[in-house]
Amino acid sequence: MEEYHPGDEVAFNPDEASNSVKECIEGIIGGVDYSQNKVNQWTATIVEHSLTQLVKQGKPFKYIVNCAVMQKSGAGLHTASSCYWDTTTDGSCTVRWENRTMYCVVSVFAVAVAL
Amino acid sequence: MDEFQTGEETAFVVDEVSTIIKESVEAAIGGNTYQHSRVNQWTTNVVEMCLSQLSKLGKPFKYIVTCIIMQKNGAGLQTASSCFWDNSTDGSCTVRWENKSMYCIVSVFGLAI
Repeated sequence: MEEYHPGDEVAFNPDEASNSVKECIEGIIGGVDYSQNKVNQWTATIVEHSLTQLVKQGKPFKYIVNCAVMQKSGAGLHTASSCYWDTTTDGSCTVRWENRTMYCVVSVFAVAVAL
Repeated sequence: MDEFQTGEETAFVVDEVSTIIKESVEAAIGGNTYQHSRVNQWTTNVVEMCLSQLSKLGKPFKYIVTCIIMQKNGAGLQTASSCFWDNSTDGSCTVRWENKSMYCIVSVFGLAI
């Protein structure tokens, strides 16, 4: 009974996800300066748009998209993540973006859904 | 055929995870002052300790643990996350911790297998 052949279509493609996320970031905070009243809205919009683009790819994955926006002021920021999953099917990608006044770090984690 | 009873043992329990995170953060960076040369090691320690405690719970979950450490310097930091998963079984928990010189934000995402 030949039903489903796991092949390239079901592995997480970090490059594709990374490009998708970069476009979302550019579209939302591309030419703007850090603004405390707007940053709340920016992070929410970035994660929602990125998630929508990923889901549109139609692959059998659950996604977690995380976004951090930090004002450039000399402070040190360090992030780390550790994942307990199936290394053959699951994956992640992180995009670091910056402009004159802020840094933006977006991480996407994709976990395969058992079919 | 009663194979697997879904009950409390297979749901993501936020309180339990929150306690694990707080203990891991305290143990890894508890009384320390922000130091650029050590922060790399600290973030790694925090996520590794959390992950090993979580996997010891023995639940049928995949976990993602992220940790952010930021020096207290007046800068603004905003984070957001969005998840596409199964609402009935998956969950997340975020703990914000601080001391005099730094902030530490740890998020755990648990996805049912």
